[in-house]
Amino acid sequence: MSFFNSLIPTATGAVSRIEPEALPARRPSYEINESESGYTLAVNLPGVSKEGLEITDEGGELRIAGKRASRLPEKAVVLHRESSDAAFELVLEHDNTIDPSKTEAELKDGVLHLKLAKAESAKPRKIAVS
Amino acid sequence: MGQIVAQETSRVSILQLWGHYAPHQIHQSQCAPDPRFGGRLGAQDLENEIDWLFGTALGGFVPPALGGQFPVDLYEDKDNTYVRAELPGVERDAISVEMVEGSLSIQASRKEKTADGESSVSFNRLVSIPDEVDAAKVTASYENGILTVSLPRREESKPKKINVSVN
Repeated sequence: MSFFNSLIPTATGAVSRIEPEALPARRPSYEINESESGYTLAVNLPGVSKEGLEITDEGGELRIAGKRASRLPEKAVVLHRESSDAAFELVLEHDNTIDPSKTEAELKDGVLHLKLAKAESAKPRKIAVS
Repeated sequence: MGQIVAQETSRVSILQLWGHYAPHQIHQSQCAPDPRFGGRLGAQDLENEIDWLFGTALGGFVPPALGGQFPVDLYEDKDNTYVRAELPGVERDAISVEMVEGSLSIQASRKEKTADGESSVSFNRLVSIPDEVDAAKVTASYENGILTVSLPRREESKPKKINVSVN
């Protein structure tokens, strides 16, 4: 139970080594802000390098998957562990209100910044009353 | 109007129908299933529910994981003790690492853009280091949002090999 493990990480054996591939992906913390023309999305992906990052936008679903590049050295003796080697995965639905061809991504210091442009059809349109 | 809807991939629960379900309140550590019980499917489902309940019920009282502090690892090899901290999105200049009486103090601040301009969030953590450390030789690196501090052990505190001859 990760709630208890988060309180007493060492007592419950959380220091044992598990292959990262065997761990279920974690959902990273993220923040979305909306502007008139689009959205900005910031996702915390500590330990993920550009090579381990995969961003796909398909069928109205934006998927961000990140594998951690930094791992503890093989020979090290772990005294206390709070972080995890588990990969990150974030799936956001946008119902095609985003134009994927205009998406810009930047990964800096473990934070992914995405600029998502609203699709033309999703932008507000003023309709004149005749 | 465009709308972004968060979707849970790791967990689908009937408890979502209770109406208090708010994905953004659940911290990653509370919704990730524990892999060590992975073999027992039913038990894992139950665990997820328990974690979810705790995440919801105590959401306002218990800050996400470890009191809002960043996660820290402590490990060692033959010559060094290492402290590794997850600090995504922090400028290198905004990180300060200090040795204080056998403890390593890590301080960091992150600027965040808000609607009313910029605000600064600061984090700090004090990690007690088990071994005698040569404070002058402590080095730190920051990559992909992870700070790694290497603390070389003092010569006299390294394990010494003593040969005992058995007659």
